[in-house]
Amino acid sequence: MVDVWVKAGVSVEPDPWYGMAHFLEHMIFKGSKRVAPGEFDREIENRGGVTNAATSHDYAHFFITTAAQYLPETLPYFADILLHASIEDEEFVREREVVVEEIRSCQDDPDWLGFQALCETIYGESTYGRSILGTEEQVRDRTPNQMRCFHKTYYQPENMTIAIVGGVDRETALSLIGDTFTGFTVRSECPTRTFCPQPVLTEIRRTELRLPRLEQARLMMAWTAFGIDHLNEAVGLDMISVLLGCGRSSRLVRELREEQRLVWDIGSEFSLHRDSSLLTINADLEEQHLETVERKICDRLEQLQTVPISESELNRVKRLLLNDYAFSTETPGQLAGLYGYYSTIATVELSVTYPQHIQKMQASDLQAIAKQYLSPDKYAVTVMKNLGE
Amino acid sequence: MSTQRTILNNGITVITVENPTADIIAGRLFLKAGGRWELREKAGISHLLAAVMTKGTSHLSSVEIAEKIESVGAVLGADASTDYFSVGFKTVTEDFREIFQLVGEITRSPSFPSEEVELEQYLTIQNIRSQQERPFNVAFKQLREAMYAEHPYGTSILGSEETVGKLGRDDLQQYHQTFFRPDNLVISLSGRIKHDEAIAIVTDVFGDWQTPNSPLPELTIPLVTSQPTSNKNPQDSQQAIVMLGYLTPSVRKEKDYTVLKLLNTYLGNGLSSRLFVELREKRGLAYDVSAFYPTRLDTSQFVVYMGTAPENTAIALEGLHQEVKRLGEVLLTPEDLQGAKNKLLGQYALGKQTNSEIAQILGWYETIEVGIDFDTQFQEAIIEVTIEQALETAQQYFRGDPYISLVGPEAFINEQF
Repeated sequence: MVDVWVKAGVSVEPDPWYGMAHFLEHMIFKGSKRVAPGEFDREIENRGGVTNAATSHDYAHFFITTAAQYLPETLPYFADILLHASIEDEEFVREREVVVEEIRSCQDDPDWLGFQALCETIYGESTYGRSILGTEEQVRDRTPNQMRCFHKTYYQPENMTIAIVGGVDRETALSLIGDTFTGFTVRSECPTRTFCPQPVLTEIRRTELRLPRLEQARLMMAWTAFGIDHLNEAVGLDMISVLLGCGRSSRLVRELREEQRLVWDIGSEFSLHRDSSLLTINADLEEQHLETVERKICDRLEQLQTVPISESELNRVKRLLLNDYAFSTETPGQLAGLYGYYSTIATVELSVTYPQHIQKMQASDLQAIAKQYLSPDKYAVTVMKNLGE
Repeated sequence: MSTQRTILNNGITVITVENPTADIIAGRLFLKAGGRWELREKAGISHLLAAVMTKGTSHLSSVEIAEKIESVGAVLGADASTDYFSVGFKTVTEDFREIFQLVGEITRSPSFPSEEVELEQYLTIQNIRSQQERPFNVAFKQLREAMYAEHPYGTSILGSEETVGKLGRDDLQQYHQTFFRPDNLVISLSGRIKHDEAIAIVTDVFGDWQTPNSPLPELTIPLVTSQPTSNKNPQDSQQAIVMLGYLTPSVRKEKDYTVLKLLNTYLGNGLSSRLFVELREKRGLAYDVSAFYPTRLDTSQFVVYMGTAPENTAIALEGLHQEVKRLGEVLLTPEDLQGAKNKLLGQYALGKQTNSEIAQILGWYETIEVGIDFDTQFQEAIIEVTIEQALETAQQYFRGDPYISLVGPEAFINEQF
């Protein structure tokens, strides 16, 4: 498994270049001077391998999974398309239609629409509020020249982490990388992004979407915290999100779904970002219960700040997250992803300290973290309702 | 890694895989039950059983069960599928015995508390409704109903609002009594545990369970006959979903099954597949364009589909149809055939990495009666497929018209037929 992480996500897109990082991810697969469009995919898959990529705010990453014996044959292709993407005009125009179809399919997905609206509500114009895909109009405004410039600016060695996990020894891996990831293009400098601070919430910020064909209303609430430089707080929030909304014995699931039957489903999630992490609580419910449920969630947050959680609940959360960590390090792909991700947003060492942070956490720590970050009267909320007749 | 298959005195088949790689044990219990065994008027009962099963036993309440699982950070859940019913779990090695005891209790003596049955019924009905929110699901439902008519594969595993609403505690009890018995059970375990130790623990938990004297009920399933139809469902969506389906054989027709799996890989699997290259890469018609041919006990379906701009509906339909027909018209090149084989075998291997995946695939093969050796037999059979066989098999199954399902803005899908 070879996973290449590049600090070339949405967060470095120049102001008006919406959708660039993601569109470029598509164009990487269109090859280089030496590798024809589709050739890379064929070379990997015909040897029984798999390849794919993903783009987010903090990164774009590309991976191949292949039997170790094929690494010397496949790695040169992989390095060449990443380092020397040719981004030809004709291919650019063709692939743009594919990206537009991707955008359209997301617009038929109510949960994608809701999450995007929620991010815009809480992050405003700052990085994490920006759509990864961009809109159809924005994507149609991009040019091959802009993209070549973006590529030459960011696909450079200091922005890259390559994680290799599997049946290959360290020396061989390093020498293969050294031989193939070489001859980076001449640097370019694309316009810089103006720093736009994240809005400070002083109240509840609310947005409402009305969609056709929506069969159940959605309530999505969000709070932000510092980024990776405050890992301990991030771990604490991760634990709180499990405490509230992960598993049948978590507080919100038990109370709102199992006992009071006010929601069809409820869950909480924590996403670690480089600069501003996010805790969300999402519920599917009947429209008439929206207000009640929102109020109850706020009551539970209030309670977190005033009453420390019990020892047994703390242990449940710890065991759950520690096992989850163990379960997510079973395959080479998972490991490479973990190492690459941490290396891209901070340092790779942090990826192995996570369990220690969990173990050290006390009830009083969680109480303090809840107090600092999870205010019941300063948050963003997006509700989705049926458009009606 | 070593694999063993053992049959206990009471008829339970146990598959154990010693895999010392990680400090984890995953397991899956399979019963020959599920959607295929459901009466039409009770559609959804397997799924409802799966939802309620973990919510009460003769000794434990729903809350206590959840506590037991979550306090040790284990994963445990029941699942219903068309061809099997399963109870799966994953734990660190240390907690295996404790969690497996709980699995035993849930499997053998669930109590189906009335209020939990009602809650899950209500949640399932909502789940059925929410399937209508996504155009892909709407298109697939329409295709499935057209292809399978009265056959249980024609209904979602969730059942329908009408049938689920009428189910009750008695139905669940009867279903449980009928299908949950040692001679109908396969237990598949994978992880850091020795065969002997695993067998000892399984015997501890399940050894005293007796098979009833009555035989398992005989199953009568409506035949599926091919009568291709074109179906549309107008929706004001951003994309049109274009889906074509062909009836194709069960896994039991091993030779054709193998060839069609390979054709499916060639046509629709991965970034170098024919559909991806021709319709996405060269023509930019879609983001999502693919094919699937699930492994089924009864007649399966070979489906190709894409999501595209509404104005491209006609081109998409024509393009997909053309590509399937081509399989029966043009011999694959030896390179294409070899490429598809490598791809299929590579992905097959990648799908067997975690302990959960290993336990799933072996237990599943045992349950659908192709046996755990099918794991190697299938891979060997793939290697043997020739280009002539590929052509003949395609001619046999893709000669007739496909079933068609369209979902999208009325103006565009109405033009089609």
